[in-house]
Amino acid sequence: MPAVVEVARLTKNFGRLRALNEVSFGVEKGEVLGFLGPNGAGKTTTIRILLGLLHPDGGTAKINGHDCWTDHARAADFFGATLEQPGFYGFLSGRDNLRQFARMLGPVDEKQITALLDTVGMTERADDKVKRYSMGMRQRLALAQALLGKPSLLVLDEPTNGLDPNGIHGLRILLRKLATEQGLTIFFSSHLLSEVEELCDRVVVLHRGEVKASGPLSDIMNVKGFRYRIDVSDVDKALAVVRTVDGAHADPGTLKDSITVASDTDIARQVNYALVSAGIGVDQLVREEKGLEDVYIQLTGVAAGSPLSSPPPPPAPAA
Amino acid sequence: MSVLVSLIRNEFEKTWRSRWIVFAVLFGLFLLIACGVYIYYVASQHRWTPPAPVAWQAQLQDQIKANQREITNLEQIKEQAPGGTVRIGGRGGPDLNIDQAIAQSKQAITDDQYLIDNNIAPVQSFPVAQAALFALGGIVMFLLTRIFGWLASEQIAGERSDRTLTTLLSRPPSRNQVLLAKGFASFLISLVVVLVTLLIVYAGFSFFLGSPGSLADQAGVALDGSKALGPGNLLQVPVWLFVLMCVGAAMLGVLCVQGMSLLISVVTGRWAAIGITLALLFGAPLVSTVVAGILFLISGSQDSAHFLNYFFFNVLLPVGSVAPSFGNATAAPGSGVNEFTAELETLAVWTFAFFLAAWLLFRRKQEAG
Repeated sequence: MPAVVEVARLTKNFGRLRALNEVSFGVEKGEVLGFLGPNGAGKTTTIRILLGLLHPDGGTAKINGHDCWTDHARAADFFGATLEQPGFYGFLSGRDNLRQFARMLGPVDEKQITALLDTVGMTERADDKVKRYSMGMRQRLALAQALLGKPSLLVLDEPTNGLDPNGIHGLRILLRKLATEQGLTIFFSSHLLSEVEELCDRVVVLHRGEVKASGPLSDIMNVKGFRYRIDVSDVDKALAVVRTVDGAHADPGTLKDSITVASDTDIARQVNYALVSAGIGVDQLVREEKGLEDVYIQLTGVAAGSPLSSPPPPPAPAA
Repeated sequence: MSVLVSLIRNEFEKTWRSRWIVFAVLFGLFLLIACGVYIYYVASQHRWTPPAPVAWQAQLQDQIKANQREITNLEQIKEQAPGGTVRIGGRGGPDLNIDQAIAQSKQAITDDQYLIDNNIAPVQSFPVAQAALFALGGIVMFLLTRIFGWLASEQIAGERSDRTLTTLLSRPPSRNQVLLAKGFASFLISLVVVLVTLLIVYAGFSFFLGSPGSLADQAGVALDGSKALGPGNLLQVPVWLFVLMCVGAAMLGVLCVQGMSLLISVVTGRWAAIGITLALLFGAPLVSTVVAGILFLISGSQDSAHFLNYFFFNVLLPVGSVAPSFGNATAAPGSGVNEFTAELETLAVWTFAFFLAAWLLFRRKQEAG
């Protein structure tokens, strides 16, 4: 499969801040790639480079072989994009906004505009001024805008931002449909795991401007190790006891009267035996599947320290 | 090419739909002023209809008669007080001895007779030329250039603030095309406003002078405004060409302002762009006046601040420099067609520099959001 998007050793600095540090990945034709990372990871910067809004300080970004900065016009022929917080002309109606952007691509196809407004569920409000739209409605209009001119690649920056649960659900179904029925390649960023989990063939996890993991979702999810949640009668005692078991890492659990135990090997029986021997009541011992959330936290280290720990200081750019 | 046309059409739609109120207010203002002037005319002249037109030859004949009376007066004074001096032009005018004053009046008669004999009307004889000088060199352009500057300063900066610029630039048309379309659309919109303004003012002048006048007749414009119009100090052009010249010069001034505004627009957001542009457009003439005043105080010479005319903000209205020099009366030094040409050249350089700078900055401008 030929790569639609090729990003190679992409580096971008903003003053002293290194926003991207040798980021490399590719998006293959027809796949749905999730671009995952916490706030400030460099997702939007990468997307802005792909859209030709920023030029990289190092490395290259290409779409269908055309450089996104030096050959923007040709690269832009292939994609439709939405950016975080999509902007529209508030004094024009949704339909007129689409006409504006359609005109940049060639003769305006009124039928396509009507069809797109219908696709994103905006037919009823299409002739209202955009300044009266909610964030979710703008997001829908942005998607219609991205689909103008039948692109072969969709680049979406946090497309579910501001959408209500119905909207998110609808978007998921729509994106799936576009990918399977029309063979659209979709590259979308998110910090929401649920979206990515349900939608993507492959994910790239970005953190502090570096790719932490990439590959099929099943590979990333298949992180070695076992994890148990144990409901006990005495948490402090239980922690002390479990820590004596070989290879066990015990922490207070997130639930009341529970502990979490992690290990590289299956030690459920040893742990249970140790607890019972020590006279600690075990109400429940559950093996927990590692969700994407855990992998994400493990990769990005966001959960370290306090739940909402402040982002670490940016690394200084290499000389 | 068709992309450029589409982009220009987009700019028209955006400007009109977002700022139609500006044009409506402007038109309302013109209408209000026209009504006011008409009411004043009716009240002061006690008539509703236009006055009878006066032929320019008759005006010059009157002027010749006045000069002949002046010569008779001066000769009487000379007999009574030989060797005395007279002051021409009231306070501040040069002191001349009586012989010089008589010679001057005789020269004025010769010059006027030359214009009549050769059928060259002083340019202010034509309502359309008066309208051009007033509308394109006067208060109207003084107001319009600021409005055009404001609108142009929003072209890119406003889209940046509305976050539509990113969508615009991510689309296939190149940045050069986007900038060109914005510049072109701004210019065309301002051209329409200027022409409509000119037509309104022309209609007004035609009414108050009693006739729309000719467009094909020959008009005489002074090369050096400080000297009387006559052979040797005369640019002879058909009046339509003179009007076209004024329109061209005024539009170059507008283009210069738009270049400056676009340059500011490339690097700022909406409110900063509007603020800086208006501060420059209103502040620069103020600074230039103050500097000219200080230079005058130091040197005592009016000419010492003349170089300020070659800063762009003083030549925004090059038509203004030709305005005081028209006709066969003398005006201040530093006016006339020669000055007009020199200011146009300066303006062209400024305009080119602004657009070049805007282009150089915009083609590599990073939109980090």
